[in-house]
Amino acid sequence: MADFLSTSISGLMAFQRALDTTSHNIANANTVGYSRQLTEFMTRNPQQAGNGWVGNGVDVSTIKRAYDDFLAGQSRTASSSYEQFNAFATQAGRLNNLFGNSTTGLTPSLQNFINAFQAVADSPTSMPARQTLLSQAQTLMDRLQSYDSSLRSFDAQVNSQLKSEADSISSLARSIAKLNQEISGGYGRTGQPPNDLMDQRDRLIDELATHINVNVVAQDDHSLNVFVGNGQPLVVGQTFGQIVATQDSFDPARTVLSFQTASSTVEITNSLSGGSLGGMLDFRTQMLDPARNALGRLSAGLAEVVNEQHNAGVDLNGQLGKDLFATGPVRVMSNTGNNGSGSLTVQRIDGAAGSLTLSDYVMTNNAGTWQLRRADTGAVVPMTGSGSAADPFIADGLSIVVNPGADPGDRFLIKPTADAVSGMQLLISNPSEIAAAAAIVTGAASGNLGSGSVDVGSAFDPSVWVPDNYKLTFTSANAWQITDSASPTPNVVASGAYTPGAPITFRGAQVVVSGTPAAGDSFTVSANVSGRGDNRNALKLADVLNQPVLNGGTSSLTAAIGEFVGDIGVKTNQAQVSRDAQKVVFDESAGALQSVSGVNLDEEAANLVRYQQAYMAAAQMIRVADTVFQSVLEATRG
Amino acid sequence: MRLSTQAYYSNSIAAMLDQQAALSKIQNQVASGKRVNTPADDPIAAVHILELERSKVESEQYDKNSALARSRLSLEEQSLADAGTLLTRVRELVLQASNIGTLTDNDRESIATELASRLEQMQDIANRKDGGGEYLFAGFSTLTQPFAGAASGNVTYSGDQGARQLQVGATQRVADSHSGFDVFMDIPSGNGTFDTSAGAANIGSGSIDVGSVVNSSAWLPDDYTLTFTSTSDWEITDTATPTPNVVASGTYTAGAPIAFRGVQVVVSGEPAAGDTFSVNRSRGEDIFTSINDIVTALRQPANTPDANAKLATALNGSLQQIDQASDHLLGIRGQVGARLSSLDTADAVREDLQLDLASSLSDLRDLDYAEALARMNQQLVGLQAAQMSYSKISQLSLFNYLR
Repeated sequence: MADFLSTSISGLMAFQRALDTTSHNIANANTVGYSRQLTEFMTRNPQQAGNGWVGNGVDVSTIKRAYDDFLAGQSRTASSSYEQFNAFATQAGRLNNLFGNSTTGLTPSLQNFINAFQAVADSPTSMPARQTLLSQAQTLMDRLQSYDSSLRSFDAQVNSQLKSEADSISSLARSIAKLNQEISGGYGRTGQPPNDLMDQRDRLIDELATHINVNVVAQDDHSLNVFVGNGQPLVVGQTFGQIVATQDSFDPARTVLSFQTASSTVEITNSLSGGSLGGMLDFRTQMLDPARNALGRLSAGLAEVVNEQHNAGVDLNGQLGKDLFATGPVRVMSNTGNNGSGSLTVQRIDGAAGSLTLSDYVMTNNAGTWQLRRADTGAVVPMTGSGSAADPFIADGLSIVVNPGADPGDRFLIKPTADAVSGMQLLISNPSEIAAAAAIVTGAASGNLGSGSVDVGSAFDPSVWVPDNYKLTFTSANAWQITDSASPTPNVVASGAYTPGAPITFRGAQVVVSGTPAAGDSFTVSANVSGRGDNRNALKLADVLNQPVLNGGTSSLTAAIGEFVGDIGVKTNQAQVSRDAQKVVFDESAGALQSVSGVNLDEEAANLVRYQQAYMAAAQMIRVADTVFQSVLEATRG
Repeated sequence: MRLSTQAYYSNSIAAMLDQQAALSKIQNQVASGKRVNTPADDPIAAVHILELERSKVESEQYDKNSALARSRLSLEEQSLADAGTLLTRVRELVLQASNIGTLTDNDRESIATELASRLEQMQDIANRKDGGGEYLFAGFSTLTQPFAGAASGNVTYSGDQGARQLQVGATQRVADSHSGFDVFMDIPSGNGTFDTSAGAANIGSGSIDVGSVVNSSAWLPDDYTLTFTSTSDWEITDTATPTPNVVASGTYTAGAPIAFRGVQVVVSGEPAAGDTFSVNRSRGEDIFTSINDIVTALRQPANTPDANAKLATALNGSLQQIDQASDHLLGIRGQVGARLSSLDTADAVREDLQLDLASSLSDLRDLDYAEALARMNQQLVGLQAAQMSYSKISQLSLFNYLR
């Protein structure tokens, strides 16, 4: 029999549950990841009476949470991207600030160095000017090295950051697996959703998505499987894998990431993307590595250009110029998986700074033939030569000598310029050793009869030069010979037919005679031992630093610095713009999810009023039932 | 759309934070006066700024180079002017000595003495140093004293023939000196084409003038000898070996021009048979030798007609040589003047460039204050409005009415 007392009680119970839920919602209005909960009512099965179906009251069918898997997935993807750009932009911004200062940056240091050469050219005998040049060289080198060490510390920070990212990811995976277990257990026991546990799990997955791009797949037992990278199963039901920081197979100082399960550890760095982890990895490969190589190439180019020209001059003591700068060697690292005992000897070729690229290389032994690939793009780099010490492989400004013992499949990583800066040294400390003067000095003998004149000399090759006082004599109007200063009989060093304006080359020196010399006319071409006021080499040094020597002869050193700084600026700017754009997308999708699952206090207030009134009405019904029952009692009391 | 309470608060706060960040950026720009503070603010402008600043610093170095070149060239100019004045005095002395008949050997000796001291004075000028202690006329060997030997009359040059150049523009170099060789050592002898002299063994009273070029295209450079085969006949031979060719010959008339191969010389007086005169192609002669030659000539006793004739020939030649040297020095001074004027031009060009650089730099880097302040005001109004509306709206809640 329909019983409106029990019907009323069912309403009372249901509305109490609804009020519980409302107060839970209000209490969690500020809980991150909380989804508002809704009490769902369902009429009880009616009772059949002869005159119809009589209702039996209400039951609470379930308490469900307002949540949308599609919106949540969108929001996760957006937050992964946002965090990736954010991490990149943050790091890039730091790099940008480091290199951006136009008063303390590289360009002013290099220009001051060039100006110091000009000052020496102004007064080659001035010791203060020479001393200034040495201090400017030191300053420039210090600047390069301080930038390099900053970049190295960036590298170290990236390494430790990657480690802590890996730890966070692994610990999140463990927690998610544990919640999977509790949730599927909870479902199993009651058939009802454990809403708050599911919220917790979703929040953990959201957090995981800020570290790395995830792929979430729901299972029938209400657990969620989480995959990263190329489908590596980070969480499957109640089991979980780990992301661990390991050493690069070439470079032990470089942290890479591996996926670790109970049975295996596989390196997956290149397949990881998204999130702050992806941002750090992108920053390392897109900005940090190129920046270090660019700085190294700049230093290698600077040293080579300066040294080469400096060698062609003579110092205040009449000695040929020494090298001004030393740079660090090419770094070669063998793979930990190499079986053979072979090694490579790699050097930057003198005079080939223009061929150096910003890339690293991997050299692989393919069953006896060697193959060189760029480390960044994987493109095969053609080599000439045979790899022996006498005939080394030549590619991209490097000479590579293969020392025997490598097994097929053995690989080596070649970093042409990464260590150039850190190994940089100033080799000259005595200002008088700056070779401001040219190595040869020319002149016409007094009493020459013809109109011939000799230029100051050019294209000097110090390696074959033998210092002496040479005499260029015209044996006839159209033949010349060069004799040394041997006595009593000078040796003829070179001779030839005279063409006005054509260079005359001997022992590394080159002079040009023009005009019409008469037979018997002579010119001197001497080692410049007393020309301490000569500034020709200093002028050339200042000049050569403005010449395009890098990048296949298209960029000067100053232009290369401009490109380097500009590149950092462009990438930083791009990253910031992308981050801001992605922030909008992320806010949008998070807002969409919030609009479904967030608590609105006004709404809860309205619900509160609604359920409270219903509760009071149900209570009133009980009173009515009581009254009705009392009247029946009174009627039967007689 | 449904709005959760939390989203409302976080959105409002995010909006205000964004406004504050924008405001702080403008404030930063206003404080530094720069629009571009890091390369990321405007990468293209940043690279441009680097290049412009580099050019500016480079150009400032060229200013210094130019000032130094100017000071050295001015010193050189002064030395050359002094050398010119000295040569004028030498010329006067030679003219004075040319009155051979009226002067005694003693008179000539006193002139010679003054000339010898002028020679030393010339060497002092040629050994002048600049403010940095470097010899002006030593070529590249600026720490080596270039000239020595004036006391003995035989000056040697130990510098070289270089001329230091200074960079005064990106593509322009100006030499800041001439070598002593160019200035003092390499002066064409005679009239620039040939010089004449009397044979040392001449016994007649014939003297030869300095000669002149009549037809330069017919001139064949060689050393010719004019020989008097008798008192009335002459012939001119070249240097061919073993047998010199006779180039021209004729009958001697005192004072009449003797012409051959496009040049002519005049012999006057009475040459004896066998007397010779040289007509040598011009060679480089140094200024000290020219002066010293006069001293040597004046110190020879000149009491006989043949000695007088030799002295006359020598003084004629020397006068021309002194004039040649004066012209040469004037030519060098002209070059110095041209270099100074090209320094002026270079300075003017650089000044324009620096002005241009400064204005380009300012365009790229400096902040437009009016525009920035307008933006700042706009942003301020926005932030204030956001704060005000937040404080109003956040007070609204249905719970306020549940009593």
